[in-house]
Amino acid sequence: MAADKRATRLGILALVAVMLFGAIGTRLWFLQTVQADALQETVDATKRVVERINPERGRIFDADGRILADNKRVLTVSVDWRVLERSTDRAELFSRLSSWLDMTVDEMEARYDSGVFSRYSPLPLKRGILEPTAIALRERVEDFPGVMIETGWERVYPYAPLAAHVVGYMGAITAEDADAYRDAGYDISSQGEDVGRGGVEMELEHVLHGQWGQAVYEVDANNRVVRQLSYKPPVNGMDLQLSVDLDLQQYAEQILATQLAHRRTFTAKNPEVERILADERVVREPLDRSLPVGAEVPYKAPAGSVIVMNEETGEVAAMASYPTFDNRWFSSGLSDEKFEELFGSEDPDQSVFANRAIQGQYNLGSSFKPFVAYAALATGQIGAGTIFNDTGTYRLQSMTDEECRQQKCIYRNAICSGTGRPCVYGPVDVETSLAVSSDAFYYHLGEEFFRSGGTVLQDQIRRFGFGAETGVDLPDEFDGRIPTDELKQQLIKSGALDEDLEVPELLLGDEINMSIGQGLLAASPIQLAVAYATIANGGRVLTPRVVQAIYEPETPDDDRPGYADLAQGTLYRRIKADARRIPMTDDLREPITTGLARNVTGPGANGLSTTAEELFDIGYPPEAIPVAGKTGTAQGFQTYPWNDSSAFGAFSLDAQRPWTVVSYLEKAGYGSQGAAPVVKCMYLALSGITPLDPVEVADALDPESTVAAEPLPRVDLGCTAAASVPTVRPQD
Amino acid sequence: MARSLLQRRPDSGLGNLRSSPADPSRNIDWTLMACQVALTVIGCFVVYSATRNGDDIDPYLFVTRQVIFAIAAAVVMVVVMVFDYEFWREHWKPLLIALLASLAFLVAAGGIAFDFGPIRVQPAEIAKFVALVALCAHLVDERSDEVSYPRFLGGLLIVGTPTVLIVAQPDLGSATVLLAMAMGVLLVAGAKFRYIVTISFLSLLTIGAAFVGNFVNNYQLDRVRVFFDEDNPDLQDQVYQVRNAVRALGTGGLFGKGWLQGPLTNGGDIPVMHADFPFAAVGEQFGLIGCAALLLLFVVALVRIWRIAHLSRDLLGTYLCAGVFTMLLWQVFQNVGMTMKIMPVTGLPMPFISYGGSGIITWFALFGLVQSVHMRRMR
Repeated sequence: MAADKRATRLGILALVAVMLFGAIGTRLWFLQTVQADALQETVDATKRVVERINPERGRIFDADGRILADNKRVLTVSVDWRVLERSTDRAELFSRLSSWLDMTVDEMEARYDSGVFSRYSPLPLKRGILEPTAIALRERVEDFPGVMIETGWERVYPYAPLAAHVVGYMGAITAEDADAYRDAGYDISSQGEDVGRGGVEMELEHVLHGQWGQAVYEVDANNRVVRQLSYKPPVNGMDLQLSVDLDLQQYAEQILATQLAHRRTFTAKNPEVERILADERVVREPLDRSLPVGAEVPYKAPAGSVIVMNEETGEVAAMASYPTFDNRWFSSGLSDEKFEELFGSEDPDQSVFANRAIQGQYNLGSSFKPFVAYAALATGQIGAGTIFNDTGTYRLQSMTDEECRQQKCIYRNAICSGTGRPCVYGPVDVETSLAVSSDAFYYHLGEEFFRSGGTVLQDQIRRFGFGAETGVDLPDEFDGRIPTDELKQQLIKSGALDEDLEVPELLLGDEINMSIGQGLLAASPIQLAVAYATIANGGRVLTPRVVQAIYEPETPDDDRPGYADLAQGTLYRRIKADARRIPMTDDLREPITTGLARNVTGPGANGLSTTAEELFDIGYPPEAIPVAGKTGTAQGFQTYPWNDSSAFGAFSLDAQRPWTVVSYLEKAGYGSQGAAPVVKCMYLALSGITPLDPVEVADALDPESTVAAEPLPRVDLGCTAAASVPTVRPQD
Repeated sequence: MARSLLQRRPDSGLGNLRSSPADPSRNIDWTLMACQVALTVIGCFVVYSATRNGDDIDPYLFVTRQVIFAIAAAVVMVVVMVFDYEFWREHWKPLLIALLASLAFLVAAGGIAFDFGPIRVQPAEIAKFVALVALCAHLVDERSDEVSYPRFLGGLLIVGTPTVLIVAQPDLGSATVLLAMAMGVLLVAGAKFRYIVTISFLSLLTIGAAFVGNFVNNYQLDRVRVFFDEDNPDLQDQVYQVRNAVRALGTGGLFGKGWLQGPLTNGGDIPVMHADFPFAAVGEQFGLIGCAALLLLFVVALVRIWRIAHLSRDLLGTYLCAGVFTMLLWQVFQNVGMTMKIMPVTGLPMPFISYGGSGIITWFALFGLVQSVHMRRMR
């Protein structure tokens, strides 16, 4: 019996053995028959090294062929991870490389251990080695198994910081864009490719980038290349020619910065206003009750922009935004701390990356009036000869006396400084209303539009492109805001408007504010430029362009340093600006154009001069481009005068020199004080009257600098001289 | 019926004409011996194919040493065969004490081997032999078909102490071999089911405590983690070894790539292949046929040991054979299993095939013990 039990137990042991061997046998069978081919494929794949060859990025030229964005060849030494697996191999290879790369073994080990580099592409050891070193390493390939020299490119901006907002800069792919770039084939790993992150660099990334090449090598077990299996050369990116003229661009940036600095030396007085109390008593008190009446508050004048656009083609010849930045910072290996020091300001007024010419979200003030006038003429609400008697104040006609006691129904013209009371222009037609900027005229139009119901005014305004992106070939354009019921609801929902104080529908007051370019209306300077150009060119709403042509890759350099020889390049495509037509018969255009011309040259009405007349009266010779334009003063926070922003839009009356110029200076005073002088100076430059500083290739970026961009030399402000101090200030 | 099938004796055990009850040397199991020799020779070839790649070292370096080890092992085996296995029953105590002392010394000193110049002795390997004879001798004193509780506890102590010391070295792989051996011997000795459960539980506890108590170094920990988390980027060095081993094995296909024609084996793409993954070398070069032949040799050896366990004239012989059987089974299964990624990598070598002096000498000694049992079956 005992023996039988022992036998049973030995039998159990045997059973276990059979089961374990059964498991092994089954798995072995599966691996060596079913999976054999699949495994073979993966083994074959690991025996191939696929090297991706980055194309050279397309270059960016200005209108004359100056090279705004160029490439510098950079050689990087990398090592295949597989040869670094064994620590003995690694130590040996690193010590052999040490003297070649001028790097200690510890530094290389630190890179190996850092964990920031992807294991799926070779470990980059050193960037920017010299060509002879690269050749020497390539020749000694036997001594350096798995070591490869990768050719990369670094972006350089020879004329930085000029046109930085238009050209843009290069930066790493951000987490939120990673998926899209990966789908497009980009290497999104930490040491992956940089992409355009602003301006044309970003907008036309797909044109500038080119196509990757690929080389496939067969390697042996030590990762030595046995032979090349295939080679597909990269296709370099296409070159871009901007319509920006760097001479003019430099002047625009100079005059903008100079004028803003100039405006900061001025102050605005805290005015006395009448306030009606609850018991209907009227008190007179300072507007800013924290300051005495007449206190002088300096203008902050922190930011602004200028646009010079060809009103026939939509090509932008200059686009300046202040404050600006040096786009070379981003290729300089910027540390987080340095970035914070240069660009970390919390003050939105100081944000340097915003291209205010296309991203500014502004009230336009009176510079918006021509389009309200157009709306009234085009809808037949008034004719060219319709006369309105401007008494300096406007009482809403649709309100009874009873209602008038409940809510605001008296709107006033701007104050004439001579009298201290709202200006009185007497009988004005539409032409004169534009010349003298009669607010009462436009209050009246606003009320009429509102009474006619619907969105008549809004629809007409939209024709000029307000409320929608202009389609300029730059990223992140502001699409604008046109006051409607929906917009108000949206703003209340988003919390921008106070739910308790605002009604979710457009009121008469909103419409009246809009008719003088205030209130909920918001537009960017480029939208204003497109709208003025539309009047100038007889009804074509242009899509503005900063890129005028695309060239095939590798446009040769010119003999002149810093220039490309566009004549030797191959034109791929010339960009033609799209245009949309809107009705603009002479009946419509004539009174507006004349009124705007009078705004610049006079005469005014009722013995009062026009807003820009004093400015253009002196220092603007007859051979200069004849212009029509309109000032605008947009009231800012609490309607304090020192928060007034200054706008001026103008177009040329000379078909041979078709330039529309728009400028907007934040918190810089009246339109005639801040923006109009900038526009005048630009026209003098465009007319060839003001001599421009020569454009020179920039000095190397100073890594010790603490400013986002080194300031440009100041320019003479003689061109901003005016005959006398402007006399009017708008009233609410 | 199943029970009677399990209880069948393999044969009479009377041997052939040359056999003689009086002369143990005429009762050697030549089938087992042939398997052992075949495995050892195959092992030398495998070690050569897996180590010849190194450019700057002598391609015969490892295989030469392996041959020398095998010769030394053969001498040890002959010595073990000459002794009646009853000898170990009387002398297991000093052996066990010596083993524990050397293990304890290693734990204190930190390391897994004594370094005598060219020879490195791993007590963990010798422990397989010593713990086996100690446990069997201890259990056989029960003189019963059942294992009493005190005796079970004594057995637990005999195996448990060296196991814990080996875990602390740390050498988890060798420890599992001892535990497997203990379970096999106790099963055959007639331990109650709950004893087996207890020892299984204690084994898991020991291994768990080794991880928790941080006795396991990171390298071992990573190897186990790889098994459960292959895609972890931190473990790519470890994954690399196993992944290439599986690839080598799999790409061998039915017939293999041929002697010295394996790109992975002969390209040196699998670190320490000669010790950890010899089966992958066989698989890549000789395919399913080669692997099956190798496994068949182990199966024949297991069958012969199992038969000798049956035919043994006394319980001690049966227990010894059961212990060797279990260890061989477990070590082959574990090594082949980790090559195929059905077990975690523990670094347990394949008996007779893997490179390593202590390993091959121990296995020769263990087989010598089995032969010794067989040689004296008719006394």
